[in-house]
Amino acid sequence: MQKNGARIGIDVGGTFTDFVLANPGEERLVYYKEPSTPDDPSRALIEGLKSLLEKAGIGAGQVATIMHGTTIGLNAIIQRRGATIALVVTKGYRDILEIARSRMPSSFDFHASKEEPLVPRYRIVEIDARLSASGDVTNLPDEAELDRVAAELAALGVEAAALVLINGYTKPALEIDLASRLSQKANGLEITSAAAIWPEIREYERTLVACLNAYIQPLMHRYFTGLKSGLERDGVVAPILVTASNGGSLSLASAQDRPVETILSGPASGVMAAARLASAAGVTSIITFDMGGTSSDIAVASGGSAALATRTDIGGLPLVLPVVDVSAIGAGGGSIVWVDDHGVLKVGPRSAGAMPGPVSYGRGGTEPAVTDCYLALGYIDPNGFLGGRMKLDKQAAETALGAIGERIGLEGRNAAARAAEGALAVTTAGMATELYKTLAARGLDPATFALLPFGGAGPTHANLLAEEVGIGRVVIPPAAGTFCALGAAAADLRRDFVRSLRRPLTDESAQLLQDVFAELAAEGAVWLDREGEQAEGRRVERAVDMRYAGQAYELRVSLDETCRAAADVAAAFHAEHERIYGFRDTETEIELGTARLAMVGETAKLADQTIAAGSGRPTAKGERPLFRRGAWLTAAVYDRQAFGAGDQISGPAIIEQDDTTTILLPNWRARADDAGNLHLERHADEA
Amino acid sequence: MREISTWKDTQMKLDSVTLAILGNKLAAVSEEMCLTLQRTGRTLYVKETADFACALAGLDGRFFAYPRSIGVSGFVGLECLPAIEAVGPLQPGDVILTNDPYRSEGLATHLPDLHMIEPYFHEGRIVAYGWCFVHCSDVGGRVPSSISPVNTEIFQEGLRIPPVKLMKRGQMTPEVRLFLDANSRTPDANMGDIRAMLAALAAGRRRLEQTIAQHGAEAVSNAATDLITYAAQKARTVLRRVPDGTYAFADYLDDDAATRLPVRVALAATFNDGTVHLDFSGTDPQVATAMNIPSRGRPHAWLTLRVLALVNTLDSTTPLNAGLLDPVRITAPEGSLVNPQEPAATGVRHAAAIRVNDVLNGAFGKALPDVMPAASSGTVIPVVMAEPDGRGGRRVQVIEPMIGGTGARSGRDGVDGRDSGISNLANNPVETVEAELGVEILAYALRPDSGGAGKWRGGCGMELTFRVLTDDSNVLGRGMERLVFRPWGSYGGRPGAPGELIINRGQADEQRLGKIDVLTVNAGDTVTFLTPGAGGWGNPAERDPQAVLRDVQNGFVTIEGAAGQYGVVIVAGTIDADATAARRAHFAAGGASGARGPEREQWDAVFAPDLMDRMNRSLVALPGAVRQRKRREIFNRVLAGLPQDFPRQPADVAAVAAARQVLESVAREL
Repeated sequence: MQKNGARIGIDVGGTFTDFVLANPGEERLVYYKEPSTPDDPSRALIEGLKSLLEKAGIGAGQVATIMHGTTIGLNAIIQRRGATIALVVTKGYRDILEIARSRMPSSFDFHASKEEPLVPRYRIVEIDARLSASGDVTNLPDEAELDRVAAELAALGVEAAALVLINGYTKPALEIDLASRLSQKANGLEITSAAAIWPEIREYERTLVACLNAYIQPLMHRYFTGLKSGLERDGVVAPILVTASNGGSLSLASAQDRPVETILSGPASGVMAAARLASAAGVTSIITFDMGGTSSDIAVASGGSAALATRTDIGGLPLVLPVVDVSAIGAGGGSIVWVDDHGVLKVGPRSAGAMPGPVSYGRGGTEPAVTDCYLALGYIDPNGFLGGRMKLDKQAAETALGAIGERIGLEGRNAAARAAEGALAVTTAGMATELYKTLAARGLDPATFALLPFGGAGPTHANLLAEEVGIGRVVIPPAAGTFCALGAAAADLRRDFVRSLRRPLTDESAQLLQDVFAELAAEGAVWLDREGEQAEGRRVERAVDMRYAGQAYELRVSLDETCRAAADVAAAFHAEHERIYGFRDTETEIELGTARLAMVGETAKLADQTIAAGSGRPTAKGERPLFRRGAWLTAAVYDRQAFGAGDQISGPAIIEQDDTTTILLPNWRARADDAGNLHLERHADEA
Repeated sequence: MREISTWKDTQMKLDSVTLAILGNKLAAVSEEMCLTLQRTGRTLYVKETADFACALAGLDGRFFAYPRSIGVSGFVGLECLPAIEAVGPLQPGDVILTNDPYRSEGLATHLPDLHMIEPYFHEGRIVAYGWCFVHCSDVGGRVPSSISPVNTEIFQEGLRIPPVKLMKRGQMTPEVRLFLDANSRTPDANMGDIRAMLAALAAGRRRLEQTIAQHGAEAVSNAATDLITYAAQKARTVLRRVPDGTYAFADYLDDDAATRLPVRVALAATFNDGTVHLDFSGTDPQVATAMNIPSRGRPHAWLTLRVLALVNTLDSTTPLNAGLLDPVRITAPEGSLVNPQEPAATGVRHAAAIRVNDVLNGAFGKALPDVMPAASSGTVIPVVMAEPDGRGGRRVQVIEPMIGGTGARSGRDGVDGRDSGISNLANNPVETVEAELGVEILAYALRPDSGGAGKWRGGCGMELTFRVLTDDSNVLGRGMERLVFRPWGSYGGRPGAPGELIINRGQADEQRLGKIDVLTVNAGDTVTFLTPGAGGWGNPAERDPQAVLRDVQNGFVTIEGAAGQYGVVIVAGTIDADATAARRAHFAAGGASGARGPEREQWDAVFAPDLMDRMNRSLVALPGAVRQRKRREIFNRVLAGLPQDFPRQPADVAAVAAARQVLESVAREL
């Protein structure tokens, strides 16, 4: 193993597996794309890695680390293809997964069903064990009870199990001990203790954390074991790190132990890369915009770090682990354009997917998709898709869109283009409204952000979205198509820890909070020590959830090292409360909720990228008609490679690169910075 | 109606693309208002149970844009115009506040709901209204939180706020504020909610201004009317799938909370070419408790929720706005439970609304056997604990909002332990309850064998058992229902098990109680609430034995239940095919017992539906003061010859016949 060797980031997507290689001390990044192999994702990974090393001209022994994100766990959960698991739970709570938080997915649709539980009721075993809210043991199982539970588990023939005690969060050690004793009695069955992973109050959510972990563990174990031996056969013995949903990464051992921490790692890596890139480019606050084939996602980042959420939805199941807060906002390139029975134009939510794909793919698709609209409007070149590897049928796209136009009453000249422009307007308005709502829930104003697009269609649609929502700047990174892999290559090690406190803020409890932070930091240090030698520095991030007594909600407040005394903690809370809600209440007692600590092992920064200075204006490689606001304009077409640092152009223009096309509207201009980012800026109202 | 084949046929003012865009944007404005309200609100009602909503209303005061995914979904049919007209001319920055069901003509439906309306101006003219409401913590009245089922007049329910200008040109009216603060047990919390509502209205105003800047005022105004037309057309298309005809259905609330007399809700629904007339004639007169629904005789939200749900279930792309109710006409006799006269109390109108929903569901089920489910559990019980706090006061908190399951339908079992029929509230984590109250929750579970048997099984009800840890604690179980009249089955399906309340279950001092208002318990006592199961669909003897076996394995049905309710004999974990065939043959010979349960059969044997229809029509026509007295007299005379606990305790044939004769004679006298 080479500590100073190459770092490789890998992102396994539905269509392509992307690779980025960074050599220490070298500015150049090497990119590579390999078609994905969804039946066994490790095949594309192993094959692609070989080609990547060849392309980079380095040997397998020179690789220092491989950073790898995967969606295997997520897909298994959504499609309910995980392991056969059991759940052991306190007596009286066999229905914890059936009842959940008791809400139905729809208030209006009386044919709607509740989510399929991860563990069917017959595989849920009750145990006579629980604690009180203050952490006293009220029921502890004797040997006979443990034997009975172990025997039931054995009879169920499960691959793994989860254990949850009511109020188990108050004393994780007790539940952990119980899990290991049960495991011994059940022939070494892997049993995940909920309190061990996430000792936070709220039994249903904690149960899900443990069940999700047990549910994907056998499958992830098999995958990683296969991957590791596959790579070793090719002489790659570098440690594998796995990217995590919180934007950090974990050692392979940690990831196998707690695969639940990696479920949403794919999108998280892209957002983290965007956050770092924006920060380096001097852009403080960004909204990332990841537009792929089936959908578009946004996330918010400020000052180089991404906003985290502690309640996300995984295929109908809430997840309370901290994850990079990514929200879906609507259509992707494959979303279908259609007209309802009452003549109203609609886009999505159905997607043409990769098969049959948009009409222009010529694979049998008959309903036009968003990509067909780009084509009919001149946004993308039918001969330049995927670097020219795939020819698109523009005529077919126009015919299909013409038929749509007829149904909504468009006739005569440019009917297909007008239908396409209408469809994109509907698409953009849909994205904009979701974006507004996402930001409104956080009290943020989109106009104060820059938009940072990535993914295949992100740069194509970004200017339309920015114009619609009133964002004046768009930053387009150099390799927008392989962004998630880049994020993986640069990820820090990171794990989150919690403890529920739930008591009034006093001098005594402020001291307890410090003690808890010290405990969590020690736990974090033990973890980080085991992770290997990738970390060059370490830091902790502390926060605590607080509220005014009687309030129905808690507010998360970050605390720095110096914020220790009760008065300081209170001041931090008052200030944050005033910032978010506009008032402070110094009369009412403050209550401490959950203490949170993140342990971060910082990895070496990737070298800054730079491009050579330009002449001020890049040379256009041609021009083509672009349909905008009901008329054809002439847009200059540029190659992305033609931009030197400082080069500037005005819209309307089209900027092409292998993995995406950027559209620049007439009232916008674009400038390349030293790192090769394109900054799109609005300079006037559109005529 | 016209068939629509091209856009021109729709007679919309906007083009298809603009309508699609503005439809999306305007609905999002209402959702953004909700998100703002939720983010800035302070109370539990806002944060956890989401008992609030925001919308945009047109110049006619009807909502053209309503949130789909946040807030209370059922209020889309409310009308703002009476409240707007009540205050006179409006200036920019004015905001109307009201909570009075009578003076707002049914915009507000009970006093804790504070409704606000702000006119949105463009170039000096009103272009739309922003609306929002929040269920606030307390508006005074006889009891904390202002709601009690046994209030007899609205005057006991708290401060009545007729439509007034809370804000004048952006400034809060000091006198209004003084009245508000002086008449609430929680003035600060209320003002917090009011400020959150003002923030939501301001967010709506800004986003609407921006939309007008992008698309023009005329396009936005046209969208307001086009969207309503569009929803109305879609609703009609869906309702046209219902075969024309009149479908009647009646159901009962166990009682009116003050007496043990059941309360009848009756409906005749007439479908005709995509329109529906809901006629509630035959429904009981208004009650002297707080269950009345102040509809003012309009197609009010609380009377039409199931129509909206039907349209949305069959076409989920229908936009949510007032147009959905265009095909609905209503007859709700004045002085009845569903259109009470002032000053009837209305605090717990949702309890009656649950049964109204059931009645619509039952009537529609006769027309659409494959679409409508059997009755859901039909109860929402916020189980509340009020325990001594050691300082002379009481700590009051909801332990769990208890519900049941949903009814089965053709091709699908009901959902166990969840029911979004009237509200879709989240429960409380047991661990947070135990951290804040002196209770130990011993079981929060599904209730086996409670789901009504059928070819498709009704959803299971639930169990909540807790041990009390503090002496002299009070338990409140308001909203307990279906302890007598069970959730009915459909098309041969059986009813769900009725609800129960048991103290110290399985102990020597076990007590089985009926409905309670407030119950005093001591440390060591256990309290068990069992909610009803939902109704089954189709003949239980036709249920796939494998499905019964699966239910037994999963514990939703017991071995005894499988044999007794389904005729499926399970021995050592497998189906005994011969024994099952024999049992099912016996089932078929014996005929099915009723879909509504023995209590309802007994009741109807005396209080025959046609007789009740006639009698209620006459009663409602009487003057208010006479009506209640007359009704009590009639019931006292009829029930005098029946067992004390009738209909739970059955009467013999002769007693039933005699009681019925008494009823017939008094009905004739009316």
